[in-house]
Amino acid sequence: MSPDALDAVGIAAAVRRRSASARDTVEAALARIAERDKALNCFTAVLADAARREAAAVDARVAAGEDPGPLAGVPFAVKNLFDVQGLTTLAGSRINAERPPAARDAACVAALRRAGAVLVGALNMDEYAFGFTTENTHYGPTRNPRDPERVAGGSSGGSAAAVAGGLVPLTLGSDTNGSIRVPAALCGVLGLKPTYGRVSRRGTALFAGAFDHVGPLARSARDLAVALDAMQGPDPEDPVASRRPAAPTRLELDRGIAGLRVAVADEHFARGGEPEVFAAVGDVARALDARERITIAEAHRARAAAMVITAAEGGQLHLADLRARPDAFDPMTRDRFLAATLMPATAYVAAQRFRAWYRARVRALFERVDVILAPTTPYPAPPIGQDRIQVDGGEVLMRPTLGLFTQPLSFIGLPVISVPVWRGKLPLGVQLIGAPFQESVLLRVAAHLERQGVVASPIA
Amino acid sequence: MAIDPSSAARYAEQAAAAIGLPLTPARMPAVAQQLAGLLNAAALVVEFPLPEDVEPAPAFEP
Repeated sequence: MSPDALDAVGIAAAVRRRSASARDTVEAALARIAERDKALNCFTAVLADAARREAAAVDARVAAGEDPGPLAGVPFAVKNLFDVQGLTTLAGSRINAERPPAARDAACVAALRRAGAVLVGALNMDEYAFGFTTENTHYGPTRNPRDPERVAGGSSGGSAAAVAGGLVPLTLGSDTNGSIRVPAALCGVLGLKPTYGRVSRRGTALFAGAFDHVGPLARSARDLAVALDAMQGPDPEDPVASRRPAAPTRLELDRGIAGLRVAVADEHFARGGEPEVFAAVGDVARALDARERITIAEAHRARAAAMVITAAEGGQLHLADLRARPDAFDPMTRDRFLAATLMPATAYVAAQRFRAWYRARVRALFERVDVILAPTTPYPAPPIGQDRIQVDGGEVLMRPTLGLFTQPLSFIGLPVISVPVWRGKLPLGVQLIGAPFQESVLLRVAAHLERQGVVASPIA
Repeated sequence: MAIDPSSAARYAEQAAAAIGLPLTPARMPAVAQQLAGLLNAAALVVEFPLPEDVEPAPAFEP
């Protein structure tokens, strides 16, 4: 296998045994970015000099016989809503470009660096994470490496496209309503939205704090596991961080799936999409011998409640700028943000109460099953600039509908991995949904599906 | 749709004034369209009967 095609764990192993240097690895990533990113538009900043210095430091640790970390020499990049010391955190906006550079790294950026990974840049996104397509007017749309005329998905579109295009093997994204899972599905990579509170959000620009999660995107289950293990655990600086101690997942990965109870979500998760997305769920179900179907009741209402809370929190967060300079917002988000500020408080509280009720119902389902399968998006990547799309014989608005199957799950903070399945030229995503803090179970299932050849993420 | 863009526009005009949000007439149709969608989502939530003892989870632990 060419070193460029290795996953993050493969790269780190090569660097640790000195069959590759971190410097050469990072230099190759910078060359790929220089060659391909003009067309794909994943990066909003490339930190070439700093990356070269950090790579040299990793090589020096290896040469000195020190432990360079489980991600030694792995080039990575982050959605531009993560603080990177010395870089202004854009969060996809023009407004935030006026701000001073961040004083220190976001917690998870610092964690990956401590694990030996080398940050090479910051990645494009929908403005303030309010979108599912990364059609950013200020910085241009990110293009899908599987077909550059199509959207990469969003809001972590740069994060998914950079991995799918082989620019870097590992990125970080954020997911409030589907923003890791949707682009992972449309670009054909793996994306992990961890349990709410499992990974610190300290130093990341918020959108709707009630649902904001951060997590990794990569081309293998083991890369997700190693990245999660580097980042997970309590953090007093994130007010919603769980106090549970970190529980490593990497060593669980090869345990297989014996004894796991897997069911396919029906009703809300079995309609409103193109037949091929349900066929992809069927492919995964067959590979797992999952015959049971399960109903997540009131999922459509959970999606509505997620929209209410997102609007109320996101609208309030940006109210000052919406009052003072609405024209500085991206036309793709402006009208939605303006409308969001007018959400009645009664609806917000009702949605928060409904969330507690729904959480209790879904928790009860996990007494019966360990993993639930559902599609990630209702259709594969649509063309850039398209407003409406034909689905299942009817026409719907393309952009909001991308979150149909992801919103009811982030709403209650469940861990989910979107895995890529192929039935044609464009990838489809299938969500592996677990009980809170059971990421290791999802990673075992994803690894099993890779071994079966049902899930794969080749470089585009 | 229970709430159409024209009734959303009437609400938006008053509510925006109450919170000091400048909504120009040129902007109103698009904002009202978005707001109608949000208010219909809100109605779906508000109409759902919940037991009185169901509280929000401010410190949310899944």
